[in-house]
Amino acid sequence: MDSATSRAPDERALRADAAKAAFRLAAAEDRFRVETIEWPVVIATVRAADGVRYALRFDCTGYPASAPTARLWDLTLNASPAPHLWPGSKGGRVAAVFRQDWQSGTALYLPCDRVSFAGHDNWLQETPTMIWNPSRGLIQYLEIVHELLNCADYQTADRAAA
Amino acid sequence: MKTIDIFYQGEGIASLQHIEFEGQRSFAELLAAIAKQHGLDGAALFLEDEDEPVDERELIGTKAGRSGVKVHVHRCREVRVTVNFKEKSVHDNVRPGKTVGKIKHWAAVRKFGMSEEEASHHHLQLAGTTDQPDTGTHVGALVTKGTCAVEFDLVPTPRVNG
Repeated sequence: MDSATSRAPDERALRADAAKAAFRLAAAEDRFRVETIEWPVVIATVRAADGVRYALRFDCTGYPASAPTARLWDLTLNASPAPHLWPGSKGGRVAAVFRQDWQSGTALYLPCDRVSFAGHDNWLQETPTMIWNPSRGLIQYLEIVHELLNCADYQTADRAAA
Repeated sequence: MKTIDIFYQGEGIASLQHIEFEGQRSFAELLAAIAKQHGLDGAALFLEDEDEPVDERELIGTKAGRSGVKVHVHRCREVRVTVNFKEKSVHDNVRPGKTVGKIKHWAAVRKFGMSEEEASHHHLQLAGTTDQPDTGTHVGALVTKGTCAVEFDLVPTPRVNG
């Protein structure tokens, strides 16, 4: 049995999605890309308006029936980034999602995030377009994050700070 | 012979598609291949966000950018677009390859007088639904079958609250 056929269904589903045209175009346009897959961990990077690339560390267990959960990641340290490396915000939509005070910074505060959605049934009514949609898959999560990092609320992280 | 990445959307085609095509071949050949694949006899080919149909005699390689060529295939030559915001509606006739992002900018900034910052916190939503197509979606992919029209509501992008 080769490695492809021995993979679990959730890993095969994720790899099939990552091979789709939408991911290929996003990478070609330098918007976002899947960097590595070491199941169930998927590392993806997303380009912000100022050209900074933010890494996200996804846990995609149970994909796509179960939503993934993701946290910001420092590819150099292989750990959570230092606070001053988090995306900046004018206090609006970006700050509401990239919260260091939520789950100790281990999950983005998004309705399509498995960890964050728990206990937030109100999001079904308030933010229906951000609820995890298995038929769209990981592209939905990455499109939402890309939109946030390119909206007018985004500000360059204070990378000079210690 | 150099191949070009072709990303295409079109009438009745559910998701972005990708094929590779030789750059020395014409757009007429590309149109024939896509139309045959999807049963779109009589369709025309449009470059993304271009105001005129592509000259089918041209070679594909002459229009290739960093990410290849993005095209749309549709039997409608124009799409009647309506955007509703508060009590007002604006209309335009656009090519099927016009992106949702361009239409949103036209409506929000040019027609409804929003600043660029305000516009970045609004999305186009298909009227009567909660569907908010990604900004790269071609309007031709959204028309109701049998029509050449799409109606959107311009809505604030929700902020995720607890």
